Amino acid sequence: MDIRANFPKVVITGLGAVSPYGVGVGTLKNGLYEGADCIHRVEELEKLSLVKTKVAATVQEIDYSSIPRQRRRSMSRMSVYAYYAAQEALAQAGYAQAPEGLGFFMGSTLNSISVWLDVCTQCLGGHAELVKTSSFLQIMNHSPQAVVGQALKINGPSFAGAAACATGLFNIGLAASAIQSGLTAQALCGGTEEYHPMFSACFDIMQATSHRFNDQPALSCRPFDAQRDGLVCSEGCGLLFLEREDLALARGARILGEVVSFSSNTETENIANPSAQTMRFCMQSALDKAGLTAKDIDFVNAHATATLAGDAAESSAIHQVFGSSVKVNSFKGHLGHTMGAAGALELIACLHMMQDGVALPTKNLQTPAPDCAPLDYVRQKENFTIRTLLKNSFAIGGNNCSLIVRR
Amino acid sequence: MNISKEEIIRQTNEALKKEFELTDAQLTPQANLKDDIGLDSLDAVDMVVVLEQKFGMNIRQGYDLRSIVTLQDLYNFIEKIAQESMQNK
Repeated sequence: MDIRANFPKVVITGLGAVSPYGVGVGTLKNGLYEGADCIHRVEELEKLSLVKTKVAATVQEIDYSSIPRQRRRSMSRMSVYAYYAAQEALAQAGYAQAPEGLGFFMGSTLNSISVWLDVCTQCLGGHAELVKTSSFLQIMNHSPQAVVGQALKINGPSFAGAAACATGLFNIGLAASAIQSGLTAQALCGGTEEYHPMFSACFDIMQATSHRFNDQPALSCRPFDAQRDGLVCSEGCGLLFLEREDLALARGARILGEVVSFSSNTETENIANPSAQTMRFCMQSALDKAGLTAKDIDFVNAHATATLAGDAAESSAIHQVFGSSVKVNSFKGHLGHTMGAAGALELIACLHMMQDGVALPTKNLQTPAPDCAPLDYVRQKENFTIRTLLKNSFAIGGNNCSLIVRR
Repeated sequence: MNISKEEIIRQTNEALKKEFELTDAQLTPQANLKDDIGLDSLDAVDMVVVLEQKFGMNIRQGYDLRSIVTLQDLYNFIEKIAQESMQNK
């Protein structure tokens, strides 16, 4: 995964988002800028007595009737999110329809749990005859990429890479690499995810979820905070339109940022507990590949999900690379952990910070935790010029990603 | 299954309208399921699923569904199976 200086520059010309704040990048931006609350109690979790966490962030009901039926029938919720995010990103890039040969790199952590459960319930209950043809199409691992690609006639190279919490950022890095290698000239890329209470249950079993603030959901997800006690599951979709800079300039597209470098490595010591050293290598590698030093980075947007081990390790890694003075934030306090969508949704937010000259705080970070390294944690919205930013995504399973973007 | 032709037509149309988001105007007896109503091969399988549920009968095994071209063909097909089920009782 090497984006070298002598390869074509890759720029971002379109953004699309569906988040717990609603449909659209503008809605996402407004929610983040206002520090709006979107984490809430989940009724289904109340019934799971052994699951301690009772909160999540979810996308409110979407009117999907504008999607043609024969396209919609193959879409689970995460594909519907991706459909609207893709349409928005295409439109901002200046396309009413997908351009010829457009690549599509988008994945998710899991496929649709709710559809899988329905299929299993029907089949194992002796009623396989009730299962409809579209069920399989909704639970394929690459379902969102496949069905949205069909619906929007995206006919270039496509791939649904999955790397859990790093899925979104990984697919952006893959798309940038694909453009630089000549596989495609333009690509939609990112990640999508739909929430199911089983997500919360599984992370709860691993003792990675927040439960201390079940009665104050808005306060539950607290990256880098002394009272943090785990992540909050969430959902959504983030997609970016990437293309070769010369192509964007030739067609007069508005350039929102440049993907300067992408690096990835894998934690091999423990599948659930990240090590600061491997994270450090990942960030340092992104700098090295771009010919940059730590001083060139104005801002780090951390993965920081508010788990005890993850935040401590990531803050330590950031400190080792950048020292104490680099500004750092995480958007998990606002959005919860949107899983496969996280890297892309958070990078979209970063691009807005860069565009507006604003540093947004980590929501709920009141007292930096003593077990987290001393960094310049942004705790209030402030005016701040960000020319070059490094974004991290570190997944369970050990998939680490760091991506550098420049205005 | 003791059911009138009119009831077969009513229940079939009701199931198809709901499943495939159709209008009454589209559901003429002469309508070609593929060309006029727009059902594709996946829809055809799902149509069997919803009609089996609607009428409580197994129509996917032992019958050649390829002969069903129009809505009228479908009504006739269901009527035939209903009559066979009555005779087998």
